[in-house]
This record gives sequence, C-alpha cells and structure tokens, in this order.
Amino acid sequence: MISVDLTSMIDVVFQLIIFFMFTSQFGELRRTEIDLPHQPGDEAEVRHEPAMIIDLTNDGTYLVESAQTSLIEIERLARAGVLGQDASDPFDVLIRPDRHASAVHLDRLLLRLSNTGVQRWKLATVNPGGGS
Amino acid sequence: MTRARALKSPRRSARLGALPLTSMIDVVFLLLIFFLVTANFAQDEHKLPATLQTEGGGVRSSDLQPQIVQIRLQGNEPIFVIGEVAVRDRQSLEALLKNLPKEPGIAIKSDPDVPISAIAAALQAARNAGFQKRSYVPSDGT
Repeated sequence: MISVDLTSMIDVVFQLIIFFMFTSQFGELRRTEIDLPHQPGDEAEVRHEPAMIIDLTNDGTYLVESAQTSLIEIERLARAGVLGQDASDPFDVLIRPDRHASAVHLDRLLLRLSNTGVQRWKLATVNPGGGS
Repeated sequence: MTRARALKSPRRSARLGALPLTSMIDVVFLLLIFFLVTANFAQDEHKLPATLQTEGGGVRSSDLQPQIVQIRLQGNEPIFVIGEVAVRDRQSLEALLKNLPKEPGIAIKSDPDVPISAIAAALQAARNAGFQKRSYVPSDGT
C-alpha cells in the first residue's frame, strides 16, 4: 500500500484556515449585495456599527436586515431608536443605496427619517479604485 | 544495528500509522470549506456622513445660510449647479467648492430623477473641498 505523507498538506490546510479565520468579516454577512456609489468616502469617519442600516435597491425597495420594509415601518423603527438614544451614543442611520436608484426614493426615506428626529445619516460607498 | 533501525525507524512510522488522521482531516477540510464559503470577498465599504435638513427648516434665522448645490439632469447626465455656474463632474465641482467660504456650510439638493451616484459625488466633492457642515435637503416632491 502506498503511504502518503500528509504532514505538509495538513500544514498548508491549517495555514489556509488561519488565514480565512482572520480575514472573515462575519458582521457584514447579513448585508444585502448592492451596487453602491463609487466614491472613496470619508476616511475620518469612525468605524462603528450604525444603529440602523437601510438598503435601497434600484427599483426603490427598502430593506432592513435584508427584509423588505415599508416606509411606515421604517419610521416606527427609527422613532423607537431616536427615543432610546443617549448623548454618548446618538442614533445614526446608514443608507446603502443602489447607485442607479433615483433620488426620489432616497428623498422619501429621508423625509420619513426627519419626521422621527433623525438628524444625521451616512451614505455607504465603495472605492473600487482604492485611491481617493 | 542501531543505525539500520534508525534508518527504517519502524517505531516512528508505526506511531504515525496509529494516529487516527482520517477524522481529523475530515474536520479540517470541513473547516476549510466553511471559511472559504463564508469569507467576505466584497469590497470594504466606506461612509459619507451628512446632516439631514428639511425644506424651510433646520437653519435658524441667525445662522449663515448654506450655499446650495442643486443636482439636475441634462439629457441623461447629471449636472451640478451652484448659482449660475454648472459643472458636469465631481472634480470640477470640487474645484469650484474649494473657492467658496466654508463657514456657512453646504446644502445639496437634487431633482427626483437624478441617480443617487450623483448625490454621492456631490457629498464627496463637498467633503474633499473642506466643508465640515454638509447637509442634504430631501425634496418633498411639491
């Protein structure tokens, strides 16, 4: 019977596992795949998870936690978030829009959010080129 | 004799042979497949922060009125209009905004049919031009 030397293969496999363990970003797995606007963004912006993430698809559908959500429901969620905020951790909203979607969908959403008292929001972008 | 035993190393190979490697390799490959599948190869996302300002609200009368960038569509292409000046791309808008005073801040408005990529470009240009106070004014469609 031919004996196979498994030592080096196991070494390589373990190296791969360690690599993927370190590079995986489990926090963002729940985000829907969206063609975001291509801009470098604000590097000074602190990296912390926003209180509410709203995805906006090309056809004007709003998604919260990957589930289609009406503007009325978004307003209710945002109002609850604003009521529960404190000075050290203000309620902030991240909007992840499809770059081809019309501004009217963004405007409708932002008008609803402004009704609830949301004052700051962030637009998600990607920087395909890597430079600014 | 000792040398011959060392060359063959029967004890070592026997020990290795006795190790139950099959189940360990199964687990290791499962782990590898899990990390391969769940690894997020998507590009890192960035953020462009802005304040939210409604038409006719959000600015006290004592505040300086912000300068307004209006985004319109000309044909199928978005244009950025400040007063009487219109520019077509982010770099030109950025150059224009760099000449404006920064204290009053900048407000961005857009027509309803403008793609959101143009709004992102205007926010990026304002940020790059050095405006700390950047706001977006959603249109109520009236």
